[in-house]
Amino acid sequence: MRFAVCIHQVPDVAAPAQVRDGQLVLDAGRVVLDAYAASAVEAALQLKESHGGEVEVVLVGPQKAAETLRKALAMGADRGTHLLIPEDAALDSRAVVALLAEHLGGSEADAILTGKQSQDTDAGLVGGMLAEALGRPYVTNAVGLEQDGDSLVVTRQGDRGQEVIALPAPCLVTCSNDMNDPRIPNLKGIMASKKKPVETVEASPEAPAVRTVAYAMPPEREPGQRVEGDEPAAVAQTLVRLLSDEARAI
Amino acid sequence: MDEQFDCIIVGGGIAGLSAAMTLARAGATFLLVERGEWSGAKNVSGGVLWGTDLHRLVPNYWEEEDGGWERFVNHRRLTLMDAGGAFSLDFKSDHFDAPPYTGVTVLRSRFDAWLAGKVDEAIAASPKPDESFLATDILVESVIVDESGAATGIRAGGDEFHARCVILAEGVNNLLARQVGLEKEYVPADHVAVGVKEVIRLGRETVEDRFQLRGRSGLTNEFVGAATDGIDGGGFLYTNTESLSVGLVIGMAALRESGRTPYDLLNAFKAHPAVADMVRGGETVEYSAKVVSTGDIRGVPREVYMDGLMIAGEAAHLVLNAGRAIQGMDYAMRSGILAAETALEAVEAGDTSSAQLQRYRQRLDESYVMQDMKAFQGAVHLLHSPHMTGALPRMACDFGREFFTVDNEPTRKATAILRDVRKQHIGLVDFLKLGASAARHL
Amino acid sequence: MPTILTHVPVSDGTPNRTALEALTRARQIAGENGWTCAASVFAPDATAAAETLGRYGAQTVYAVSDDAFAQPLGGLVVDALATVIREAAPEIVVMPSTEGMKDALGGLAQRLGAPALPDVVAFSASGTAVEATRPVMAAKFRATVTAEKPADAPVLVSVRAGSYTAEESAVTPEVIRVALATDPASLKASLREVIASASGGVDLADATVVVAAGRGVRDESGKALVDELAEVTGAAIGASRAVVEMGLFPPEAQIGQTGKVVAPDLYFAVGISGAIQHVAGMTGSRTIVAINKDPDAPIFDVATYGVVGDLHQVLPPLIAALREAKGQ
Ligand SMILES: Cc1cc2nc3c(=O)[nH]c(=O)nc-3n(C[C@H](O)[C@H](O)[C@H](O)COP(=O)(O)OP(=O)(O)OC[C@H]3O[C@@H](n4cnc5c(N)ncnc54)[C@H](O)[C@@H]3O)c2cc1C
Ligand SMILES: Cc1cc2nc3c(=O)[nH]c(=O)nc-3n(C[C@H](O)[C@H](O)[C@H](O)COP(=O)(O)OP(=O)(O)OC[C@H]3O[C@@H](n4cnc5c(N)ncnc54)[C@H](O)[C@@H]3O)c2cc1C
Ligand SMILES: Nc1ncnc2c1ncn2[C@@H]1O[C@H](COP(=O)(O)O)[C@@H](O)[C@H]1O
Repeated sequence: MRFAVCIHQVPDVAAPAQVRDGQLVLDAGRVVLDAYAASAVEAALQLKESHGGEVEVVLVGPQKAAETLRKALAMGADRGTHLLIPEDAALDSRAVVALLAEHLGGSEADAILTGKQSQDTDAGLVGGMLAEALGRPYVTNAVGLEQDGDSLVVTRQGDRGQEVIALPAPCLVTCSNDMNDPRIPNLKGIMASKKKPVETVEASPEAPAVRTVAYAMPPEREPGQRVEGDEPAAVAQTLVRLLSDEARAI
Repeated sequence: MDEQFDCIIVGGGIAGLSAAMTLARAGATFLLVERGEWSGAKNVSGGVLWGTDLHRLVPNYWEEEDGGWERFVNHRRLTLMDAGGAFSLDFKSDHFDAPPYTGVTVLRSRFDAWLAGKVDEAIAASPKPDESFLATDILVESVIVDESGAATGIRAGGDEFHARCVILAEGVNNLLARQVGLEKEYVPADHVAVGVKEVIRLGRETVEDRFQLRGRSGLTNEFVGAATDGIDGGGFLYTNTESLSVGLVIGMAALRESGRTPYDLLNAFKAHPAVADMVRGGETVEYSAKVVSTGDIRGVPREVYMDGLMIAGEAAHLVLNAGRAIQGMDYAMRSGILAAETALEAVEAGDTSSAQLQRYRQRLDESYVMQDMKAFQGAVHLLHSPHMTGALPRMACDFGREFFTVDNEPTRKATAILRDVRKQHIGLVDFLKLGASAARHL
Repeated sequence: MPTILTHVPVSDGTPNRTALEALTRARQIAGENGWTCAASVFAPDATAAAETLGRYGAQTVYAVSDDAFAQPLGGLVVDALATVIREAAPEIVVMPSTEGMKDALGGLAQRLGAPALPDVVAFSASGTAVEATRPVMAAKFRATVTAEKPADAPVLVSVRAGSYTAEESAVTPEVIRVALATDPASLKASLREVIASASGGVDLADATVVVAAGRGVRDESGKALVDELAEVTGAAIGASRAVVEMGLFPPEAQIGQTGKVVAPDLYFAVGISGAIQHVAGMTGSRTIVAINKDPDAPIFDVATYGVVGDLHQVLPPLIAALREAKGQ
């Protein structure tokens, strides 16, 4: 199958960051390939390796995001498309989807894969919106993906169990990071990535309909306390007393 | 053989990146391999990059608005502390104010990544942009050494990669230098120390107000004495753009003997009244610990080159800590540059044998790196003498307490105070020896 | 009259608790603005849920009945919601942030040309704008986001579990039956199999007590202790990604950024380190008890009560003490 995987660059959520004057400030400026999108790339590569095909990665982002595209190529994707937007462009899901849809509208990709959400915003909109924009059937939150002729067989994680869904191509699937462990590019992959074709297309996103107006710290939790003691039984007694008398939780 | 690079560099710290930048600028092909997820991910420094070599690597680096560095140093302080006091030597001068600065504070996870970005730009601008690589998240497992004993490449992830020469810039934990037999198998504990450090965020305004900074100017403060509770070592506090780097470097042997943990000692240091006032209200955003060489020249490997291979930076234990400053990053930078220059020359000559690469040793010897390391060995030992962390700081503080006290009692002259505090803390002979030693070595 | 519509998923006839929390909030907004508070429900017999929705203040209930809703595919939910929305023409559409609704939200937003504010912990309406607060960066920060209602589409909002408290305010709803315009058989995707949760017991998102297990639980003997703790406290069992990956707990037990968001009154974290991606799914819990043998584990930063110790030593006396306290 031909796969198009939508990937993007996100700030490293584990790196120190702070809110200053209502703005989010990333102390180290560290950015990474979104973990959910990385799982989508991995899923496409695995299917390509067992059934043949081709993997294109598509990214909407500023110049800096080119390194993320390169990373996916180093993992093993065959070619990349960088929909290049200005450094300071404000983006919402709709603007991203409009650009992706324009590029993928004419695409021959049998299956489009995206992450089920973004690590930084947890929005989880792009996949479903893009599928609808392109008139493709879609399944979200895949934790398993197999190929059966011209169809994908998707195991999706639901609220109370899993559903196995047959999805004929052309289609779109959004991937959970619980699906696989994305490979870390090896040296050969990194070296090969520089020679793979990357098409850079300048794009101007439409004005966002959803605006982020400010950031804040989450409400602070009351400071906790350690329940200590030499005897586990005494600790247990103390904890149960605290739970019933102080926290009124039991 | 797939493809042969001019050079393979192991380690994307300061030494490795400096070598890479030098090679990229000269249009050589190279592969730099860093095991961290990104350059800087695992690197720890107190935080001052001394000297002006950065300007050589990234000309006019200070003009960049969002560069990788934090503040330039124009205010320096050395503090002798006892349990409750702090006696400082303090110097500030506008002669430090103009670029190229002679010292900038850095946070490694940011600085190394920034420098790697600059190297990437240099690769892209080079004549063979597709033939040089900065590869992260990959561990180099071993150096390939042929039958003749010459290094010809590396093994990583089960694959082999070849080059005309290899530069080991793997830092203090130099397993590969050991593998090729240049590093002595056993590094005695007094050649290494343990560094612990916290980054404490205060916010830009607070840092500037609290430390009387202006624009991007910054302060460095070194501490001896109660900083390490009298254990061999010292403390530091450096100002970053909006945070402080606060830490200790503690002799490994002395630490073991004391039975204390570095974390413990760091907490005690931060709680010292003089330090507590500086870090007050800050939020610890990063904690790290790492081994660091002490600057004892006996720690330097048997040789820093062999057929097809050179060792740069702290992998060769090129560090000097003679009381004035910890110099490791600048040594890494200079030695990385010198190794790369030697590599370029060797590749050009078509000869990367040790006969050719011994030029690296020569270059190092001619540079300030080896000259200072040799000249200040006495100072290194002096710094580790027990009086430096014990009697001397206590003497200074006792002196300070009396000298600076103005009460409604008859006041003694300074010399009288000095004589008394000296008697309390150290024998006359030891004191004179210490003085003589300081005069000779500093 | 302008309308705010809350979609309430039901499973086995029971309305989703988070949806009732969201409905309570929608009712407040309706009250503030003089709007109609409406709800929609899709089920084999959707009208059956109307009474419950009325109890939580739904003045109008749009009911779409079809057997396909026993186990609906996302495409069907999008179609049905789009139909109801065309009929009700609401200002705002509210729904719980369940996997089922996440599945439909993107498609729906695109089809309607509606801005979507997903996974919010608070939202309000003023004039034609909707403002919401949502956790970002693995819940380390909160973003305030706004969207203007377009002329011909509502603003869509999905709400995190535990963001509001469900409160009753009974009315007798007007039930409007809406026919499903789509033939379920026409959907391109087809359901092959349902692997239902083996866990049974209390549903995580509805539970007032959760016992969550992490890698420290390691094996069956640890799991037995977790089961026992859950049993005495009447808790639902949750898990970290690590133990789900090990196969020790089912995937629907996973709590966190990828898994479920829960906000029970009492949360036990047993052998969980407290990675931000896990904490993202449980910091809304009222009281958090952490049991971990590593005194520096980050989970203690969010814990109300922290016990440093091996779970094999800590849990047996704790279970005994709880039994005693509960007179069991
Ligand atoms: C607490 C502390 C405070 C300090 N303060 C200062 C200071 O203020 N000023 C100063 O100049 N110096 C300071 N130093 C010393 C300074 O940090 C070091 O000397 C300097 O970082 C050495 O640089 P390097 O490039 O040689 O090594 P490193 O910075 O250690 O870089 C080595 C790199 O190699 C990588 N690597 C290692 N092995 C492999 C492998 N097998 N495969 C792939 N990659 C590998 C590592 O991940 C690392 O990125 C301090 C050190 C400590 C610990
Ligand atoms: C994009 C992304 C999404 C993710 N989403 C989720 C998610 O939804 N949910 C989730 O949970 N994780 C998620 N993760 C993974 C997360 O980062 C952690 O890896 C995971 O939560 C770790 O699980 P753990 O705490 O059980 O294991 P560990 O981190 O290994 O911690 C085990 C803990 O058990 C303690 N312990 C060990 N033995 C004992 C004992 N005998 N008694 C007491 N304590 C003991 C240890 O001290 C340790 O603290 C996600 C990661 C990514 C990158
Ligand atoms: N800028 C972008 N470029 C390409 N794909 C994107 C972009 N933003 C999001 N995506 C894809 O959509 C998924 C979900 O993103 P979101 O809907 O923003 O949570 C991601 O994991 C990506 O696969």
